[in-house]
Amino acid sequence: MSAPGFRDRTAVAGVGYTPFSKNSGVSTLTLAARAVLAALEDAGLGPDDVDGLATHRVGDSAAPWLVASALGIREPSWYLDQFGGGSVSHSVVGQAALAVASGIARTVVCYRAINARSEFRMGGTGRAVPVSPEVQYQAPYGFFAPPQQYAMYARAHMLKYGTKEEHFGRLAVTQRANAVKNPRALMRDPITLDDYLSSRWIAEPFRLLDCCLETDGACALVVTTAERARDLRQPAVTISAAAWGGGDSFLSGGRADVTVTAAAELAPRLYAMAGVRPRDIDVAQIYDCFTYSVIVQLEDYGFCGKGEGGPFVADGHTSLDGDLPVNTHGGFLSEGYVHGINHIAEAVSQLRGQAGDRQVPGAEVALSTAQPGYILPATSALILRADR
Amino acid sequence: MRPVPDRDSAAWWEAVRRHELTVQVCDDCGTPRFPARAVCHRCRSFAWSWRPAAGTGRVVSWVVTHQVFAPAFAGAVPYTVVLVRLDDAEDCLMHGGFTGTPSADLPVRARFDDVGDDLTLVNWVPA
Repeated sequence: MSAPGFRDRTAVAGVGYTPFSKNSGVSTLTLAARAVLAALEDAGLGPDDVDGLATHRVGDSAAPWLVASALGIREPSWYLDQFGGGSVSHSVVGQAALAVASGIARTVVCYRAINARSEFRMGGTGRAVPVSPEVQYQAPYGFFAPPQQYAMYARAHMLKYGTKEEHFGRLAVTQRANAVKNPRALMRDPITLDDYLSSRWIAEPFRLLDCCLETDGACALVVTTAERARDLRQPAVTISAAAWGGGDSFLSGGRADVTVTAAAELAPRLYAMAGVRPRDIDVAQIYDCFTYSVIVQLEDYGFCGKGEGGPFVADGHTSLDGDLPVNTHGGFLSEGYVHGINHIAEAVSQLRGQAGDRQVPGAEVALSTAQPGYILPATSALILRADR
Repeated sequence: MRPVPDRDSAAWWEAVRRHELTVQVCDDCGTPRFPARAVCHRCRSFAWSWRPAAGTGRVVSWVVTHQVFAPAFAGAVPYTVVLVRLDDAEDCLMHGGFTGTPSADLPVRARFDDVGDDLTLVNWVPA
């Protein structure tokens, strides 16, 4: 399904961050307020310009109406308080773009604010088991945390396609090399494949360095019309496509192959909406809750054949100087984990040409993806374009 | 960590308590399904029956957990959980504990372990 009426009509006009840490020392409301104000400042706007706020959360963060109230945004005309984790992260921006494109809202700030290390540990250690019907069949066996879920699919991929632990390791090493060039990244010391292979087991086949960083922090994006974004402070980055959905997971009883994600169903729709093909993507921020989630998405978004994601990474295609630089900020593995939105923010920085030492020269089209749909049977993704 | 059955799954857990492994089968199109749900994902019928499963399958994948994610499992690490594809219901995948080291496509059968006065869990052993 193409959507020329949607394509490039809206834009990301501002990006804001709080610092990333293991202990922010402040509430998620405070984090959200800081990131929202930073994104507005970046755009050259203020709170009085905002008429919409959007977030997603899993019972762990400040609601949009609370953030609006805290910032004295008196008359917001549009809210989105989406339940869900990483898989819906990009649909939040997509829905904000729909609200703007329709005229219901003019300036929407999307944010995600989490204390994912100091309060609600995203990796699952020490927190309550999620409330979901499927969990009853797994939790009694001590199986409920995201690293365990993904490790199960990672091993299935290894068994079926010969994907190796060295492939996971190469991906971790490559992303760390990018983080070395990112002043915002939490982990800036280079690592080697030996460092990877000697890191401790979390849930075999995953080691510590397969797992993203549980992070305290927030990030926000200002979404407005493309026309208006062109008059604001920063170079405009338009939203060429926003797709979400993706069908079922094996837990919904429809998919028998656990090495395929919902991204395989969503990707054709996404590319058609933007009018591009995988080879047109100059830079990709691919959801890396774990090393394996990147490898399977490289396949499911069509950058290599099914089962070839591991060798694709090991051959250097996804390095900063490769033909498809991936997770140029270091990703959730090395920059920090704000549940998806910091991938979109990095894509915007790349398309503005503001990514400093890690800039991909001439980047014009970027893909940014959400958790690819195992834990929830859905995913979401964006294609963004430099407006020049 | 006790399972929390819902209104769709209570009968499945009751069968496990009797050491019976069952899957739901659509009365209209015959499609088996798991986890338990009141509606068929293929033909959308709400008519269904519980069918005894052979209780055998093949190992699709497994995970050995070293991190203590919950205090209840502090004494259990490292422990192995397998994902099993049922022989007589190919789209039905079940988790369960496993002792030892599994291998790809290993034939396994269900073993019912009474872990308390009122709780039975399905674990898997080589067939």
